[in-house]
Amino acid sequence: MHETRETLLVRLESEARRIRRNVWRALRAGGGGHAGGSCSAADILAALYFHRLRIRPSEPDWPERDRFVLSKGHANAALGAVLAQAGFIDDEVLDRFYAFESPFGMHPDIKVPGVEMCTGALGHGLAVAMGMALGARIQKQDFHTFVMLGDGELHEGSNWEAAMAAAHYRLANLTAIVDFNKISQSGRVAEIVGIDPLPDKWRAFGWEVREIDGHDMAQVVDALDSLPLDPDRPTAILAHTVKGKGVSFAENTYVWHSNSVNDEVYARALGELAEPHEREAP
Amino acid sequence: MNSAVPAASDWRARSANQTRLAFGQALLEIGAREPRAVVVSADTQDLLGIRTFIERHRERFIEVGIAEQNAIGAAAGLATTGLHPYVCAYAPFITARSMEQVRNDVAYANQRVVIGAAASGISLGVAGGTHHALEDLALMRSLPNMTVIVPADVDEAYKATLATLDIDGPVYLRLGGRTEEPSVSDPEAPFRLGRAVQLRPGNDVAVIACGALVEMALRASDALKREGIDARVLNMHTIKPFDRDAVLAAAAETRGIVTAEEHHLTGGLGGAVAELLAVERPTRMRMVGMPDTFAMVGPTGPLRAKYGMSAEAIMDACRALLR
Repeated sequence: MHETRETLLVRLESEARRIRRNVWRALRAGGGGHAGGSCSAADILAALYFHRLRIRPSEPDWPERDRFVLSKGHANAALGAVLAQAGFIDDEVLDRFYAFESPFGMHPDIKVPGVEMCTGALGHGLAVAMGMALGARIQKQDFHTFVMLGDGELHEGSNWEAAMAAAHYRLANLTAIVDFNKISQSGRVAEIVGIDPLPDKWRAFGWEVREIDGHDMAQVVDALDSLPLDPDRPTAILAHTVKGKGVSFAENTYVWHSNSVNDEVYARALGELAEPHEREAP
Repeated sequence: MNSAVPAASDWRARSANQTRLAFGQALLEIGAREPRAVVVSADTQDLLGIRTFIERHRERFIEVGIAEQNAIGAAAGLATTGLHPYVCAYAPFITARSMEQVRNDVAYANQRVVIGAAASGISLGVAGGTHHALEDLALMRSLPNMTVIVPADVDEAYKATLATLDIDGPVYLRLGGRTEEPSVSDPEAPFRLGRAVQLRPGNDVAVIACGALVEMALRASDALKREGIDARVLNMHTIKPFDRDAVLAAAAETRGIVTAEEHHLTGGLGGAVAELLAVERPTRMRMVGMPDTFAMVGPTGPLRAKYGMSAEAIMDACRALLR
């Protein structure tokens, strides 16, 4: 059955809400964690895994798969959620967040099916993704490599080494998505060390830039469907997002970069993340 | 893990007794034999002697510029796609500066990345302390999954580089700078990863050395022989995996062990030997290497002598153990 654009967006928005519910579920199982940066990334992850990425969940090492590197690895709750929803890992793994000998810890581990690199120490993913894109070119493979970066993460200078080289090698098969939620661990990024003007920085480094609302699924899908934006340049999608998106008490505050989650908090969060048809009439 | 010695080759002449250049020469053979091999340079094309590789395999060469963190990260990414990257770099920068990339992207993720680290120790003596690498063995051997090799001469450097064709994981190859290392290894002998090579027999004392200090250990052993002291010499070319059996045998069969390396006395070869013996077979030891100070500027030879890395220092250590 052909999927219309409208039904596609409805499906992806539903998957995004499910990612957020699974994030809070995992955080409750672990007693807490990085809700803010996991929820700001959820819509983009849904669009990637349920629309854009060429992947085979039953064959995670398929050589021709598109690559996704979560450089901002502290959002691993969201990555685990989307990998479970896509069928790379068992759903029950989400209930073993931080558990003894669990494959699902605070940060991604390459040993987990679907995880492409051990990340979370910030400033690593872009260089690794650049290597993957170069590997595709050298081996004449047409897979695309995506890397998601945090905006606070861009303080790490190693990003700009990789940005410079990726443009030098004209890696149109590489896309960096900045989850631009404006807040890092200690407060607002602009007040810690300002990174503006961010679009100009990426352009100056030789990247093609598109700014989108990272929670407007139509804009997310449009951007991902337009790649590469330039046949001779890597693409930077600067996705304006809200830290903690979807749960009012967690939105837009560094307090929820990482915080404790108990049963009561979990219940309140879930109450705001129900599917439309499940919500009680006002 | 044996690698045959290639017949009729002029790589030895081109290496000019410098292990860093032997690495570049071996990459030519690797490039011909292994289509998955790729070379990553951090603006180190002459340092590792890879210009011929670049001419022959332009499509398998990546220059990242003066950006060691990017070199290691990119190499890890390349490795995940099935390629076999060889990173050409300065030992002081690729270990200390990009240590986190080496630890996480390469060692923790267990990627098949070979780091050719030239200018180790005080081989670039005149460059000063910023360009010396006297802690790299301590850093690299502390990483799980990492293989650490310290060739003593160009034959060993060439064969050790070829041996990486059979190592499915991270490798740190410690190479020299513009220092010429006299031949000490048997050109006909295969390189056996993780197996020390006994270059002199002897049961009075054993000298366990690596890199440039192997040649000094041989001179020390030969001189001690004239004094009636039989000093066994082991070339410990692989620091990890470590040849425990050779060390334990030396401890059992001699009256003491001297270690010798161009590295700080903390955490290198001497540390590895001491860690093993302290637990398994407490043994009298002396350690020859760089004391806990940064080196001054100077030509490598006089600097080695000044800081106690010499045949004479090894002899003194042996005599002290037998007193």
